[in-house]
Amino acid sequence: MVNLNEQALIHDAQQGNLDAFNTLIIHYQDSVFNTALRILGDEDQAADAAQEAFISAFKSITSFRGGSFKAWLMRTVTNACYDELRRQKRRPTTPLEPDSDDGEEMDSPRWLADPNMTPDQKAEADELEQAIQHCLNNLPLEFKTVVVMADIQGMDYTEVATSVRVPLGTIKSRLARARLRLRECLRGYAELLPASFRLEEGNTT
Amino acid sequence: MNQRDVELLSAYLDGELKPSDSARLEARLKTDRELVSVMDDLRAARNLLRQLPQRRAPRNFTLTRKMVGQNPPMPRAYSGFRFATALATLLFVFTFGVNFMAQQLAAAPVPGMGGGGDVSSFAQEAPAAAESIATEAPATEAPAELVPLPTQQPPSEDSVRTAETPTEEKIGAAGNSVAQDQPQAPNEAQVPVSSVWQTALAAIAIVGALFMLLMRQSAFRRWRSKE
Repeated sequence: MVNLNEQALIHDAQQGNLDAFNTLIIHYQDSVFNTALRILGDEDQAADAAQEAFISAFKSITSFRGGSFKAWLMRTVTNACYDELRRQKRRPTTPLEPDSDDGEEMDSPRWLADPNMTPDQKAEADELEQAIQHCLNNLPLEFKTVVVMADIQGMDYTEVATSVRVPLGTIKSRLARARLRLRECLRGYAELLPASFRLEEGNTT
Repeated sequence: MNQRDVELLSAYLDGELKPSDSARLEARLKTDRELVSVMDDLRAARNLLRQLPQRRAPRNFTLTRKMVGQNPPMPRAYSGFRFATALATLLFVFTFGVNFMAQQLAAAPVPGMGGGGDVSSFAQEAPAAAESIATEAPATEAPAELVPLPTQQPPSEDSVRTAETPTEEKIGAAGNSVAQDQPQAPNEAQVPVSSVWQTALAAIAIVGALFMLLMRQSAFRRWRSKE
């Protein structure tokens, strides 16, 4: 989205123009949904959190005082995710999806995947995604939030610091530790990893 | 490997190190194999996450006006109606309360049935009733003139009795109209605010509310047709 256009839409939304805000939603909804999905690990809960985040964002858009709109929006979605996790703690639920033989919840992700993938490649990609999500779920919440924003959403350190409202140094530290823990966890799924990511081969990109 | 080095390597991969720190780290990487190994681990995890495909949102999250509790713009007259309706409702409730209180006070038993005392307290509680008595018959002034009489005499029980008796008799003699009005007075005192006013206030409140409802419906209809 052209920055100037985004500024105009934000300004209109701050005047109560819902159509302008809906244009912003259409632009950011995939990012917001993916952030919620990686933090919560469940598609339905992520959709609910994303919807709540957008409602909350519209109601408080007058508090946006410039800077990165994406960072501001991500703060809203992480807050919605934290609320959802608190709700889960109070009222734990059982997933409706059937479990597979090995006890893993079955899921059929709808990726923005390459349509030319063969069924085998698609199955491998699904398994890898589940492995990564499993490792993300094992991270402490504050590490997970930072690594999702920096590595999955591609936000820079300043944006992440703005979103989670912690100092830049804390972001650096959490991100480094999160990456190390993820790498440790992913060693258990070596057979799923592409050759370029296997530990013994290293990576020089 | 200490935590500080891990943080430096992680920030180096993201290009978030100062040039001088980058140069120092690059020099160390040429000789320290453990440092290289940790950097490879960090890079592998980072690249895996960055290449994780984005999922498409399962639905559009666009908002409706109902979801955000947004109301359509109302005509200017709406705020006038709202003010008038609120005021009329408030006054209606207030007058209703006042009338109710007056009824309660009038119904309460009065201790020590002193003739003069009763009249004065009654007059204080319900000025409207006293006023009506005064306008209806000039004879109502008679008790006021006669009441001081006992105070001029020695305060013996007999004299009080004699002073009280003629007072009541004189009231009766002064005019039958007062005697006839007195039983009606408590009834009038129960409604210090006339029912005409109450009816008018209630009517304003109801009509105002109806107009507001119609305006809202019309505004919402116009709004929806624009969407």
